[in-house]
Amino acid sequence: MASLADLFSSGTLSQFLVGLSRTTILFIVSSGLTLILGVLRIPNLAHGSLYMIGAFLAYSVIHFLGDGTAAFWAALVIAPLVVAALGFLLERGFFSYLYEREHLMLLLLTFSFTLIIGDLVKLVWGAEYRSVTVPRVFQGSAEVFGLPLPYYNLFLLLIGPFIAVFLWLVVNKTKMGKIARAAAVDSEMVSAVGINVGWVFAFTFVLGCFLAGLGGALIAPMVNITLGMDHSLIMEAFLIVIMGGLGNIWGALLGSLIFGLTQSLGILVWPQFGIVFPYLAVVAVLVVRPKGLLRSTW
Amino acid sequence: MKTRSLALAGFVLVVFLAASAQAADTIKVGLVDTYTGPATAFTNDVLDGFKLAVEKINAKGGVLGRKIAYITRDDKFKPDIGLTMAKELILKENVDLLMGTINSATALAVSDLCRKEKVPFLVTFSKSDKITGEKGHRYVFSMNENTEMAGRATARVLAKKPFVKYWIAGDDYEYGHAIANGVFDHLKKLNPKAQLLGQSWWKVGETDFTPYITQILAAKPDFVIVATGGAGMVNFQKAAQSTGFNKRVPFYQHTGIELSTLAPQGQNAPEGVYGTANYLFYYPNTKQNQAFADEFRKAYNRYPKSGALYGYMAAQFIAKSYEKAGKVDKEKFIDALEGMSLDSPVGRMEMRACDHQVALPMFFGVTKKSPKQEFLVASDILSIPGKDYMPTCEEIRKARAK
Repeated sequence: MASLADLFSSGTLSQFLVGLSRTTILFIVSSGLTLILGVLRIPNLAHGSLYMIGAFLAYSVIHFLGDGTAAFWAALVIAPLVVAALGFLLERGFFSYLYEREHLMLLLLTFSFTLIIGDLVKLVWGAEYRSVTVPRVFQGSAEVFGLPLPYYNLFLLLIGPFIAVFLWLVVNKTKMGKIARAAAVDSEMVSAVGINVGWVFAFTFVLGCFLAGLGGALIAPMVNITLGMDHSLIMEAFLIVIMGGLGNIWGALLGSLIFGLTQSLGILVWPQFGIVFPYLAVVAVLVVRPKGLLRSTW
Repeated sequence: MKTRSLALAGFVLVVFLAASAQAADTIKVGLVDTYTGPATAFTNDVLDGFKLAVEKINAKGGVLGRKIAYITRDDKFKPDIGLTMAKELILKENVDLLMGTINSATALAVSDLCRKEKVPFLVTFSKSDKITGEKGHRYVFSMNENTEMAGRATARVLAKKPFVKYWIAGDDYEYGHAIANGVFDHLKKLNPKAQLLGQSWWKVGETDFTPYITQILAAKPDFVIVATGGAGMVNFQKAAQSTGFNKRVPFYQHTGIELSTLAPQGQNAPEGVYGTANYLFYYPNTKQNQAFADEFRKAYNRYPKSGALYGYMAAQFIAKSYEKAGKVDKEKFIDALEGMSLDSPVGRMEMRACDHQVALPMFFGVTKKSPKQEFLVASDILSIPGKDYMPTCEEIRKARAK
């Protein structure tokens, strides 16, 4: 246990920034999850698998284009688009037939997809660990009060707000976003006024998958790309979504902030038990607000 | 109708006879291991190394005039499935012995079954020291090092270094804690000045180590014992590289110098990482090791890792033991295997009679860029002979008596 004085020492700020950069990835992935959950009512367990595919695709693209910085930017565009296309196939091929079914059915279906996708990834990429190096522009680290903050984390810090603004524009300013919000509340009414709800759902699902793929591509340079990376993430993403309020994108942002920051600051306070802090935060939030912090669309 | 069912019965009988006839002239090895999911990065090497040796043995006419046959079962990294599979292999397939698995909990469960069924079990890759330690018995053998051994080997080297303030950080599961305790407990005995400044434990599968690293740096330890396993090995090294952690404070990882950790990172792995490994395809630079590496590479188009050595040697220990026993008999097999020593790509390997733990060298080295390879290699390698870092037979007896 560090004393209170240590808490507010130089380490705190750098730890805060590191926590924020972690929040970015969590937010990108969980916003996609909550979007699909809110509009389509699908608790998509395969969301983590799509994130894993995004990371593997980023690996392939970067490897194919020769490991340069340009290859990294290309991967950031291509990987999420391919995952989005895959999402489109999943939605049209499976989910579009199942919207009327109960949630347990959908849960089982998405669970089966996590298993199938896991094995497909093994077939395509093999079981060996894959790794992508941090693009040259982001190699090395900045000094924040004598402690290192990798440039790549800084880059993530900048990406986060962009994604948030982008999502806000899509949901609030585009026609598609407005229809999607309406469909989330009452899809029958939306179709009654002559709008093809099916395509709205498809669009939302594809957007959610795009975000999963983007999260995977962004995390690729930081981690070991491997089978199983989907499991740990989907757990956290679901907790964040539940904490923020099901289907609420701003809830996902708030949840990610709480999750990311309690972890990084918790490590500072008590490194040996750093992992419990985010989960304690989840418990605390759910005790005080069982339906999540912000208004759920459910 | 009647003729058809008669024909069917006849067919079944023929198949059955053929199967039992085949069983009579082969030695049947059952492999229970994890063949799906992330652990396959290690288990495929065990299987491929085993296959390589078995094919060679069979090409020369097998053992005692019999070919070695093997059956694999996927335990999906789950102890209950592994145990079911092991039962099936023993009772239905009548295997002569069992091999596997990477999951220590599965290995201990199967070991217990093998003790009751009196079937020899050669453990490959499970790292729990209980397997040949307190839970050891006549029917179980370990083909690889364990956490206790890795800890002792590392402590021997670290005790001679000038570090005083240590920090422990690792994956929060049994393997992580066992490695960390193994290293630090023995270090404390060899160098009483060593003190533990603090610890960080993260969940298995943690992806972002930056917050942990910045916190450790703020505490200013002299040396960090990093107890990661599986995917965490590479994840931590990547974080070390991007934060410059390795340049600010030296750290150690068991298997940190191994190919499975370094190859995925190419030229961008951190330099100066201390690590231990049981096998390096480029060290020792002997004819035997080169021949094995070339042979493996020719067959599978990749370099062999530790698992390949375990599988390759397991097959040879099996063949030699039956040869020495003179017949395919489970008890005679065990008697023959006890105390047997064979030439391996890394030098002499002995199956110690008192605890059924294989003695093999441990390599301690530091990561460094190499002009010859497209990934980092270990440099300044110290080879620690097996007997120097194994618990003594006396210690094993005490542990088992408990």
